[in-house]
Amino acid sequence: MDGRKGNLADSLQFRLALWLGLTIIGLALVAGVGSYMSAFQEANEFQDDVLRQIATLYENSTQPTPRIVEPDSSANRDAESRVFVQVLDPAASAPASSPSRYPLALAETLPVGLQTVRSGAESYRVFIRTLSNGQHLAVAQDTAARDEIARDSALRTLTPLLAMFPIMFTIVIYLIRRGFRPVTDLAREIDRREESELHALSFDAVPAEIRPFVGAINRLLQRAELSMEGQRRFVAAAAHELRSPLTALSLQAERLANAQMSADTAERLVTLRQGIERGRSLLTQLLSLARAESVPIVASSILSVQRAYRRALEGLVTLAEEKGIDVGIAIEPDAEVRANEVDLGTLVRNLVENAIRHTPAGGRVDLSVSTSRDGVTLVIEDNGPGIPETERERVFERFYRSTGSDEMGSGLGLSIVKAICRRLGARITLGASDGTHQSGLRVTVAFPPIG
Amino acid sequence: MRVLLVEDDAMIGKAVLAALQDASYAVDWVRDGKTAVHALSSQYYDVVLLDLGLPGKDGLEVLADTRNRQNPVPLLIITARDTVEDRVRGLDAGADDYLLKPFEMRELLARMRAIVRRKGGTGDPELTNGHLRLDPVTHEAAVGDAPPVLLSHREFALLQALMVRPGAILSRGDLEERIYGWGQDIESNVVEFLIHALRRKLGSDVIKNVRGAGWMVAKGT
Repeated sequence: MDGRKGNLADSLQFRLALWLGLTIIGLALVAGVGSYMSAFQEANEFQDDVLRQIATLYENSTQPTPRIVEPDSSANRDAESRVFVQVLDPAASAPASSPSRYPLALAETLPVGLQTVRSGAESYRVFIRTLSNGQHLAVAQDTAARDEIARDSALRTLTPLLAMFPIMFTIVIYLIRRGFRPVTDLAREIDRREESELHALSFDAVPAEIRPFVGAINRLLQRAELSMEGQRRFVAAAAHELRSPLTALSLQAERLANAQMSADTAERLVTLRQGIERGRSLLTQLLSLARAESVPIVASSILSVQRAYRRALEGLVTLAEEKGIDVGIAIEPDAEVRANEVDLGTLVRNLVENAIRHTPAGGRVDLSVSTSRDGVTLVIEDNGPGIPETERERVFERFYRSTGSDEMGSGLGLSIVKAICRRLGARITLGASDGTHQSGLRVTVAFPPIG
Repeated sequence: MRVLLVEDDAMIGKAVLAALQDASYAVDWVRDGKTAVHALSSQYYDVVLLDLGLPGKDGLEVLADTRNRQNPVPLLIITARDTVEDRVRGLDAGADDYLLKPFEMRELLARMRAIVRRKGGTGDPELTNGHLRLDPVTHEAAVGDAPPVLLSHREFALLQALMVRPGAILSRGDLEERIYGWGQDIESNVVEFLIHALRRKLGSDVIKNVRGAGWMVAKGT
């Protein structure tokens, strides 16, 4: 879901929300118009009934005195909503006499029943009823007032519908989000993975529609795994094949060193042999890396960290002495971790060698270990220049060399360490050993507690 | 001393052959497994250097064949196969040592000397790292050409522990274990005391201290 926020139209969630939203609006409009119209009509019919009832009431109570009736003549009532009651006499064909007696000029000849009649500028709804004396009784009301009342009551029926709309929309969006959660979770899981974690994705909790994709991704992961495995094998095989010629080369150079030669030649031979030595160490590191990245074959066991430190120092004391670096173990207590011996040895040796190589002459390298509830933490720190924060991620890349480093390392040491950590379930962090000056490198390797 | 070199790589073979001749060995060089088996059954050798990846017959088969014929010749595997399993297989099949390519000639020569000595049983029991020598019979130690110095019982025990594998770092606990028997009370600082004494007798650089880790004698050169 990340990375493409710019193009909303590409989002299935957005499209679903949009179309569902539009559908809801459309349906709400249709339903609204329909219910408005029916409510309007109902209100009109109701008022027609009122006119009929008034006519009946009038006939029963006050006949035969025809007069103007205003159901509520108090001043604060809307004059428009008045109901007029007047008697028409279809027999008296003298329309001229009417206007003076009644406010409404209604034709005496209006048929019995309900009708809409224009009188002057206004339009009226009129109900004509035949009285027992043969006269016609007209009950009339201003249509504008009636319509207003009908409109008001129709609008009131719309209110709950309008109020429902945002609620429904919210629910729709919530449901869409919820429905898509397995997909976003899946994306997050893939994002979190390290490049070597190529195991298949789980089908659990994946909706049926997404399963084909998960299946396809899994097949792709499998192919990637195969191709990476092939690459690892190639690196291992290539390094292996290089061993023979390199052996021959170094043996010849060694033999040459025993021959009589001028000081100048001897000096060049030293450089040559250093070059060969460098090639040899690069080869060893390549094989180490190929091994660290492959599936472990050797079972792990519980190992002493102090012992691993001692073994690593045995191989590195000479290098440290040549550079004049004081390397040592800074604490006495021991700790135990679960690992296989080759892995732990390679891990520690690479970290200590790295520290010795990047610390200037006269420097100091300290190894320590501590145990807590969260596991065992190995710390290897030096008082060299350290690694700037911006480079701390990149130094784990293969063949990465920090700028200005003229050291002879293979550029693979930390890649090997990282691969081993991944395999052992340990977490490696780089920091500064001198926090105030941001100098010196402190490498922390945190092992999980022995289960 | 007569050496059988079994190596199919011409460049390595030539270089090792020349270096062995420089070191006054008589060398027969064969390039495949079958010839190697033939040579071993018809000729006496003091030591065999065996590569594993051979045409015709694999090195491990040559080794098995040799041991099946009850031939106890000291045999050193030189190979590019570097996994722990390969080593274990080689040593289990009866090899006396296992050297990984690329190696340095002086290391090969030192290991050849060592397996011949071990195998012979009559060899020199002296422990040495090329600079310091320790005689387990007389409890005398010597540095370079200097006259031997007699060591006390505990000094000898400590130095012997370090000389068994030059270059290995032994912790205080390791050394105390070697000096004291079961149930003996350990006196504090005895390791420092003995090392101080040894340094006074043999020179301060014979035993190196690695801060926090322990002590070692330099690896053989």
